[in-house]
Amino acid sequence: MIQVSHISKEFISPKKYPGLRGAIKGLFSNEKVKKMAVDDISFHINKGEIVGYIGSNGAGKSTTIKMMTGILTPTNGECIVNGVNPSKYRKENAQNIGVVFGQRTQLWWDLPLSESFSILKEIYNVSDEDYKNRMNFLNEVLDLEEFFHRPVRTLSLGQRMRGDLGAALLHNPKVLYLDEPTIGLDLVVKDKIRKAIKTINDNYETTIILTTHDIDDIEELCSRIIVIDEGKKIYDGSLKELKEKYGSKRKIRMEVKHSKELASFSTAEKLNCSSNDCLTEYDADNHLLTISFDKHKIETPQVISSVMEFTDVFDVQIQETELSEIVKQIYNHEVSEELV
Amino acid sequence: MRRKLKIYLPFTSNELKRQLSYKGAFYLFMLISLFGSFISYYLWMAIYGNSESGVLGGFSKNEMIIYVFMVYVTSSIVTVSIADWISDDVVMGTVSMNLIKPMDYRISLIFRALGSMLYRFLAPGVFIWIGIEVYKVKVLGMDFPNILSILLFILSCIMSFLIYVLFDFCFGMISFFTTHIFGMLLVKEALLSFLTGQLIPISFFPESLQHVFDYLPFSSMVYTPVMIYLGKYTGETLCYMLLRQCIWVIILYLLGSLIWRKVTKRLIVLGG
Amino acid sequence: MEQKNTTFKRYFKLYRLLIGQFLKAIMQSKVDFFMGLFGFFFSQVMGIAFLYLVFQQIPTLDGWTFDQLIFIYGFAQIPRGIDHLLTDNIWMIAWRIVIKGEFDRYMLRPMNLFFQVIAEKLQPDALGELLVGSILIILSISKGIVIIDIWHVVLFLISIIAGALIYTSIKLFFASFAFWIKISGPFLQVAYDMAEFAKYPTEIYTKIIRFLITWVIPFAFVAYLPASYFLKADVSATVIGIECIIAILFWCISYAFFNKGTSIYESSGN
Repeated sequence: MIQVSHISKEFISPKKYPGLRGAIKGLFSNEKVKKMAVDDISFHINKGEIVGYIGSNGAGKSTTIKMMTGILTPTNGECIVNGVNPSKYRKENAQNIGVVFGQRTQLWWDLPLSESFSILKEIYNVSDEDYKNRMNFLNEVLDLEEFFHRPVRTLSLGQRMRGDLGAALLHNPKVLYLDEPTIGLDLVVKDKIRKAIKTINDNYETTIILTTHDIDDIEELCSRIIVIDEGKKIYDGSLKELKEKYGSKRKIRMEVKHSKELASFSTAEKLNCSSNDCLTEYDADNHLLTISFDKHKIETPQVISSVMEFTDVFDVQIQETELSEIVKQIYNHEVSEELV
Repeated sequence: MRRKLKIYLPFTSNELKRQLSYKGAFYLFMLISLFGSFISYYLWMAIYGNSESGVLGGFSKNEMIIYVFMVYVTSSIVTVSIADWISDDVVMGTVSMNLIKPMDYRISLIFRALGSMLYRFLAPGVFIWIGIEVYKVKVLGMDFPNILSILLFILSCIMSFLIYVLFDFCFGMISFFTTHIFGMLLVKEALLSFLTGQLIPISFFPESLQHVFDYLPFSSMVYTPVMIYLGKYTGETLCYMLLRQCIWVIILYLLGSLIWRKVTKRLIVLGG
Repeated sequence: MEQKNTTFKRYFKLYRLLIGQFLKAIMQSKVDFFMGLFGFFFSQVMGIAFLYLVFQQIPTLDGWTFDQLIFIYGFAQIPRGIDHLLTDNIWMIAWRIVIKGEFDRYMLRPMNLFFQVIAEKLQPDALGELLVGSILIILSISKGIVIIDIWHVVLFLISIIAGALIYTSIKLFFASFAFWIKISGPFLQVAYDMAEFAKYPTEIYTKIIRFLITWVIPFAFVAYLPASYFLKADVSATVIGIECIIAILFWCISYAFFNKGTSIYESSGN
C-alpha cells in the first residue's frame, strides 16, 4: 500500500543570533543553517496494517508524514502511496487519503460540524448515497450526532477530535494518517477514539499510520512500530519483538526480614557477575530489597534463592520493563546505538 | 526613578528587538511609507507647475518639497499606534495579566512605543532627514537650519510623540467596549492623516476649518514641529505653539487617567 | 469535455457553498462588517477631499480638471474593489498561512490550490471601495464628462475585469514569495501600494516611475490609462487591448510562480 524508498528532507533556514546585538547582526548576515529532518528512510506498509510511527519531538515524524501526504516534496528519494506519488499527483493522492493532525483542526472553525461535512462531501465528490451510508457508520463509531449542529469552535477538544476523525474518513480513504490523535484528551475520550480507529480498520481494512507520544495508543492499536530518531530509522518491527529485545531488564522487589548486614548485601557478588547486570538496593525503612537484573543473563529463581539464603523473604514482586521505559530510553538516546 | 526605569526600559528594548528581527520588513516598510511622500512630491510639483502664483497656502515650491518629506520623517517617528497593541492585548486577554503586575499599563505601552519610535528614528528617519538637508543645500540652494531650530524641532517632536501616544491610548480604550475596533482604526488613520497635516498642509484648509482645528490636538501632532522646522513660526507664535503642545500633553494625560480608571473598574466588575 | 464540465460544476457548487457559509458568518457580526465598510469608505473620502483642496489653488492639473480626476479616482476603485472582494485571502498567504503551516490544509484536499485559497474568504470591506467607485462614476456620468456609446460600455466592462485580474496577478506573484522566504507580506505591501501612484495622471511622474507603473507593476493599466479612454475621444481603444494582454500575461506568470512555490512548500517545523 505504501512504499517509502530512501526519502530525505533537508531544511535550510537563516541563522539566528541571540539578544539585541544579535538582532542587529541578523540584519546584515546571510548565514544559513542546514538541517536533515529526515535522513534516508525506507519502509513498506501493507494494506490494513496499523503502524505506530514514534520518536521524540523533532525526530522527523511529522516531516515523514507530510511527505507521504503530499504536503512536502522529499529532497531525495520517493514514496508511493496506493500507486501514486503524492508530491507529483497531489490531487489524486488526496482523494485516497485521510489526515488528522491532533494539534490543528481541518474543520471550518466558525461553521457547525454539519456544514463542514457538507462542504467536504463536495470537496471529495462523495455521492449522496455514499454520504448517507458513511454518516450512519461514522455516527455509530464516533457519536457525532450529539454535537453535529454546533460550531466547531464551541466543541470540546474530544468532540473536535471525533469531528476531525469523522471528517478525515468521510470519503472512505484507503490510507489514514493520524498525527497525535489523542493528544490532550482525557482517558475516556482516548479510549473512544482508539476503539473507533480499531473499528474502522476492521471494517474497511483502512491502512493506518499513527504518530503518538502515548504509549497506550501504541500498545492498544499498533501491530507494528517504526521508531525514528534524529531523522533516521532505528527500529522497524513488531511491538513484541521490541519489548523482548530491549526490555531485557527485570526488577524484583522483596519484602524481607530486616538485618543490618542487608545494607551491604550484593546479589551480584553472590552470583558472581558484574554489577552492571545486577543491581541491588536496600530500603532500610520499609525493609524492601530491590534487585534489577538482565533477564537474559541471570535467571529469576537464582536471584530469589540467593536472597533467601541470606534472610527471610515475606513477599516477592516481579516487574518487567514497560514499553514506556524502552521508549524513554530511545528518546534519551540510550539504546539507539544498540538498535542500529 | 531609577527603579522605575528598570521596570519599564525592557519594554523599549524588547520592542526595538522585535522590530529588528524582521529583516526584510525593515527595508521594505521604509520604502512603502516613502511612496506616499514621492506621490505627494510629484503631485505638488505638477500643482506648482500649473499654478500662476509661486506661493500656495503660504508655501513656496521649495518649502513644499521640504514640507512633504519632513512630514514623512516626523509622522513616521511620532505616530506609533499603541491602540493596535491595546486591542491585541484585549483580544488575547493579556490586559488583566498586566493589571496584576505592579506597574502602570499606560507607561509600559509608552515605553514600548518609545522603542518603536527609536527604531523608526534610527532606521529610516534620520537618514531621510540628512538626505533632505543635503538636497536642500545642494539642489535648492537653501541654508542649513540653525542649531536652535533643530533643537526646537526635536523638543516639539517629543511633545508630538507624547500627544499622539496619549491620544491613542484614549482611543485604544474603545477596544474594551467593542470588538469592532478594526474599522475604527481605519477611520482614525484616515482622519489623522488629514487633520495632522500629513496629506496637505493645514493652511490649505478653509479659514473657518482652521479655526476649529485650533481647538483640536491633531495639528500639534505633526504639523507644528514641521512648521517650526521650516521656520514658519517665530517669536510669540513659536512660544504659543509650544505652549499649546504642552497643554495638550497635560489634557490628554489626565483624560487617559480618567478613562483608564473607569475601564479598570469595569474590568474588575466583569472579571476581564 | 464531459469530465471538464462536471469538474467545473463541482467547483462552482463548492464556491457557492463556501461563500454562502462565509456570508452567514459575516451577517452574524454585522457591526464589524459595517465598521470595516465605513472605514474604507471614509479613507477614500479623505483622498477626494485632498484633491478638492488642491484644486482650490489651480484650475487644471496637466490638462486634467478636478471632475476628470475624480472619474479616474473612482474608476480605479472598481477593479481594485473587485479583486479585494474576491481574492483577499492571498494576503494571508503572504503573512500567515505559509509560515504557520496552515497551507497544509489546502495540500491535503483534492482540489485546485488557488481555488481553495480564494474560496476561503470574501472581503466585505471591499464594498466600501466599490461603493465609492460607483458613486464617483455615476457622478461623473451625470456631469456629462464620460463618453458613452456601446463600444465604450462593453470595453468598460472588459477593462474592469482585466484590471481586477492585473491586481490579482500582482498580489499572487508577490504573495508566492512566501513559499521561499516564509513571510512575503512586506513585499506584497510594497507592490500593492504602487497602485497609489496610478490614481493620478502618470504624466506628473519622472520617466522611471512612469515606466515602472506602466510595464513592471502595471497599475497604470488598471486605472489611469483605461480611464483616459473613457474621458477623451482622441484616446484609442488599443489601450484596453493592451490592458487585456497584460492581464493575461501577468496572470500566467503569477500562476506558474505560485505553482512552483507550492511544490517547494516546506510546511512548518512541528
